[in-house]
Formats: sequence, C-alpha cells, structure tokens
Amino acid sequence: MVFLTISRQTGSLGKEIAGLLAKKLDLPLITHDVVVNQWLPEIADKHETHMLKESPGFYLNLSSQGLTFAKHIEDKLKSYISEQPAIVFGLGAQIIFSRHPEAIHVRIIASDEVRTGRIMHDLRLDRSNAERFLELTDRKHKRYISTIYHRDWSDPSLYGITLNTDFIGIEEGAALLAYYARNKQFYSPAAESPSQDGKKPIIFKHPSEEEFAGILDMYHLDWEYEPRTFPIRWDEEGNVTMAFSPDFYLPRFNTFIELTTMNQKYTSEKKKKVELLKQLYPGTNINIVFKNDFYSLLERFGIRKDLRNEC
Amino acid sequence: MNANAVGKIIFTAEEIQQKVAETGQIIDADYQGRELVVISVLKGSFYFLADLTRHLTIPLSIDFLSIKAFPDETNKTGVVKFVKDLDLSITGKHVLLVEDVVGTGLTLAYICQHLEAAKPASLKICSLLDNPSERLLTINIDYCCFLMPDQFVVGYGLDYQEKYRNLPYIAAYKREK
Repeated sequence: MVFLTISRQTGSLGKEIAGLLAKKLDLPLITHDVVVNQWLPEIADKHETHMLKESPGFYLNLSSQGLTFAKHIEDKLKSYISEQPAIVFGLGAQIIFSRHPEAIHVRIIASDEVRTGRIMHDLRLDRSNAERFLELTDRKHKRYISTIYHRDWSDPSLYGITLNTDFIGIEEGAALLAYYARNKQFYSPAAESPSQDGKKPIIFKHPSEEEFAGILDMYHLDWEYEPRTFPIRWDEEGNVTMAFSPDFYLPRFNTFIELTTMNQKYTSEKKKKVELLKQLYPGTNINIVFKNDFYSLLERFGIRKDLRNEC
Repeated sequence: MNANAVGKIIFTAEEIQQKVAETGQIIDADYQGRELVVISVLKGSFYFLADLTRHLTIPLSIDFLSIKAFPDETNKTGVVKFVKDLDLSITGKHVLLVEDVVGTGLTLAYICQHLEAAKPASLKICSLLDNPSERLLTINIDYCCFLMPDQFVVGYGLDYQEKYRNLPYIAAYKREK
C-alpha cells in the first residue's frame, strides 16, 4: 500500500502537483488544513489552535489529553496511513514515515529566481516583496521541522525523489510521480532489501522461473536471476532500442538460461534475440528452455524416483 | 512390464563394442604415462565402464558414485543427494568420469561440482550417449561414443523401471503412459 509524502518550497508548484497527483491516483490529500480543521479540535481549544498557527514550539506542549500536539498529529497520520494510502502534504511526514518501506518521499523545489517570478505573478507583488515573502515562508517551514523533529528540512537524504519545477510543469510532475507510485507497487525497497540470510529475495516475473530456480537449487547449482541486460539493437543515434535479459546465469558454468514457457508465438522472437545476442557477444553461452522441454523437466522431477538415464 | 515395448535396435552389440574399443584406445593414448581414477555413476554406466576399462592399458583405479533425488517437504522439487560417495581419494589425481547419458547436464554439473571440490589434477568426462540438443549448461564432453537418438532407449546398462539393463544392445523403448 504505497503512499506519498510531499514537501515543497513555496512557489515550486508543489501544492498544484500534489493536488493533481491526488486526482490521478484517486488518493485523499492530507494537508495542514485537514489537521487544523479536523484533527486538532479533538484535543485543542480555540486558544491552543490559535497558538499552534503562530508557533511551531507550541506543538511540543502537552495537550489536555496528556500527549503533545505534535505526537497527536503523528499518531493520527500513522493511524490513517495504516488503513488506507494517501498523499501527505507537509506536516513533517517525510520524517514521521522516514523508515516506512511503502512511503515515497517527494521534495518539490525550484530555483529562487523562478519561485520569485511565480510569486510576483500569483500574488501581484513586486520583486523585493516577493523575495521577502519567500524568505519568510522558507524560514517557517524550516523552523517547524527543526523545532519538532530536529532535522534540516532541506536535507536531501530525507527524500527519495526531488523534482525541480524550473523545467517540469504541473501535469508533467504529477504524471511522473503517478507513474512512479504505480510501479512502486512492484519494486518496493522492502522487497529488494537483503533478507536475514544476506541474500536479496528474488521477485520472479513468472511462476515457471521460480519452478526452474527450484530445480537448480535441487542440484545445488549456484544461479543468479536476470543479472545482466545485453543491448542488442540501437538506433542511428546510438540509443538502445532492444535489449535482452536472460532469466538465469550459472556462474560456475558461465551459462545463461532463458525460459520460453509462455505463448509459443513469442518463441521465434526470442530465438531471434538469442541469435542476435550470440552474434554481438561471441563466446556468450546461452541456452533456451522451450515450453515442452520445461514441462518434461518438471514432470521428470515430479514423478521420477531415479535420475539416471534421462539427465 | 511389457516385453513387446522393446522396439528397434538402435545400436547393436557389435557397434557398441567397436565404438567402446575405439574410445578406450583414444583415452589410453591420452593418458599415457599417467595414472587414472575412473569413476562410474551408478547404475546406468556399469556395463560401459567394465567394457571401456578393459581397453585401457594405463594403471587405473575404479570407484563408483550414486545419487538420488529425495522429496523434500520444504522444497517441492526435492533435493539431490549422494547415496554412495567415493571410497578413493581423488585429490591430485587424474579423474575420468564415466556417464551413460548426458542430457540437460544438471546431474553431471552436480557431480562435477562435487568432484572438483576434491581438487583432482584433472577431470574429464566420457559418455556412452550424448544429447547436446537437450543441454542447459555449458559442459564439455571429452569422449563420447554415440549421439542420443530422439527416443527413449534401454539396454547396455540403461533401464526402464530397473529392467532391460542387461540387453547387450541399445534399443528403442515405448514407455507406458
């Protein structure tokens, strides 16, 4: 259940990108307004709400519930995210969820010059007032994070993706993040992090690959899954237009193995790719396991008691 | 068991003996001045081993290996293990592994890994039948008598459900479905 946190500089189009992204992904957008209007009233009276708007330090005061306002927001966010994905806009969410395996932490920035120009246009301010406005808002953002979480708001290590909107528009930025979020479902860092035995867990693209890996394991043969991609066709500008990643590599035998257990109409295409690979990378050992061979291999190991004669 | 399932003779006893003798003479020439440990993988290659080694004049020792696949509850494909390991030490010695059939090469790779771990001076492979079109791994077969026909065969050590090993020839066999 991937979710996003978005931190932005004022004038970076971060708010607009977050709004459009929420629509594209059909996710709720949790903003400062949601917190102030819906979550803080649960524990803050009118005066406290006023003070919270004025001073970041007030978030560290104890509420009548016995916990700080900052902790209340943190608990509410964690509870919300545990039930459904969302886009969390600001609120120090990049720090609250810094270790969350399914969080995508985005920072949206722009150059001072571009931001100033946008503020001048949007708020109809002259240059000096626009610059002053940005200086104050940046300082407020920075102070909120440093006061409550003792972190530097601009620390790039807090973010997984940083978008510079000097060259990226609202639609483009939202589309980029939407694409990443959708694909993140299949390539999460959690899945790629080392397991307890120190090896990265493998995510096979097809069940037959997992079955074949089982056969190799049965014979105690070391293997690697898709360890290398061979470019096999380029356009006139030298861009790779076709590449081939064999399924398995057996280092001890310096052999790549490609399974073709899918629809047979793709087999001839794969054969051509393998031939091309052999021409371009002479000396590369690569063997194809065709559909029928693969199933007879499985059948052999499923029903045979003795391995001799056929192996 | 259906005796009528034994079909056409693919390699006659005479053809086998002639080819085995030729292969033996080549091996004998290659290993002149050296001592050899010949290892047979049970059970399919024991007739082949017996005939082949009788054409060798070099000093040699003979040993046997046997492997088997065991079902494993934690792994649906099971696990392959040696049920009989070598009695002789092969460290620093020239080794000739005698196989009945080499197909995918998976079994051979498993055995070669095991033998290489003992650090022999050299390791070569001799197979009665070779099926290179079925090969998955890049393994060089140093000596080969025949290419495997495109059908299931029995005889001269090769079995179907432990029968027909004692046939002096290699014949096609129609397996029961």
